[in-house]
Amino acid sequence: MIIVNLEPDGKRIELNDTRSVLAVLNKLRLRPTMALVARRGELLTSDRKLVHGDELLVRKVTSAG
Amino acid sequence: MKCTRCRKTAHVSLPSHHSGFCADCYPLFFTKQVETAIRREKMFTREDRILVALSGGKDSLALMLELKLQGYNVTGLHIDLGIPNSSDKARKKVEDFCALHALPLRVFEMAAWGLPIPDVKQYVKRPVCAVCGRLKRHHFNRIAVEEGFDVLATGHNLDDEVARLFANTLRWDTAYLSDQGPVLPASDGFVRKVKPLFRLSEFETANYAFLKGIEIHSDPCPYSGGASFTAHKELWGELEHRSPGQKLQFYQSFLKQGKPAFARLEKETGVKLAPCTECGSPTSAEVCAVCRIKAAVRESKAQAE
Ligand SMILES: [Zn+2]
Ligand SMILES: [Zn+2]
Repeated sequence: MIIVNLEPDGKRIELNDTRSVLAVLNKLRLRPTMALVARRGELLTSDRKLVHGDELLVRKVTSAG
Repeated sequence: MKCTRCRKTAHVSLPSHHSGFCADCYPLFFTKQVETAIRREKMFTREDRILVALSGGKDSLALMLELKLQGYNVTGLHIDLGIPNSSDKARKKVEDFCALHALPLRVFEMAAWGLPIPDVKQYVKRPVCAVCGRLKRHHFNRIAVEEGFDVLATGHNLDDEVARLFANTLRWDTAYLSDQGPVLPASDGFVRKVKPLFRLSEFETANYAFLKGIEIHSDPCPYSGGASFTAHKELWGELEHRSPGQKLQFYQSFLKQGKPAFARLEKETGVKLAPCTECGSPTSAEVCAVCRIKAAVRESKAQAE
């Protein structure tokens, strides 16, 4: 299981059977250049592998206005 | 993925540049893009006094920090719009940021000037975002001119520029298409305006802000009901995903091939500017739009009381 803290929505989402950053983005319907993904303060590219229990920050970059 | 520069694990992947960078090398890429923009477009020199418009968003703060790190003479200008539960947060963010990095800042208060944005929303019939934008541009320019700055810099990024260009193209708005670009030369009471982040996407600026510890979570303005550009940005995000590099190419080809043609057309049919009889700002009417807005609010307010 992977935990995602989605910004700026402020949502906390749990994802099962998700083993890479790209898989997380696909499930959230985000392209790799539409959001930052970080684990413990470190940015991750979409090819990075994830392990059970990882907690991610996913921050959409499009600013309104 | 490995860093294109040092072969360590990459933290940022940039398909449009066919490269990836680690956390140490990424800011070097960002710096290079800003340097290229300043040099190729002849934006300013280290002798120029630069006024940087600071909204409190990641782009303007990233721009301010980067210009300072590159050794430019920068002063920040923040406009406090006077919107309850919103403007105070943005202002504090800008003030804290400038204090942390020892950056000079001045703040202009719309309320003290006599026109907080809530009054505009209440008494002006037109969409508040358009009027607010106009008021902000007026004061950025006025303060830059009055206080002798050589240039006004804003944090507009490639996505902002492409979304605006796309919207203007959908309407074939000749006036805007004739003078949109990363540099607007000084003329008729207008200071030179530049956008040093125009080669960088929102994603690229967001990565830089993250790595530099700039707190990028910012509340959207409570008055903007889903800004109109957001849909265009998403559309372009999809295009860029399918053919990386498309965004910058679309924008640069416009500058090279589209803009000159529109500029020639506008020269034949455009309007002449003269100082506003009330405030002296350049305008095509006798009294400028900002002075007319101020008078209209004063009138409606008096009637309501
Ligand atoms: Zn590196
Ligand atoms: Zn005026």
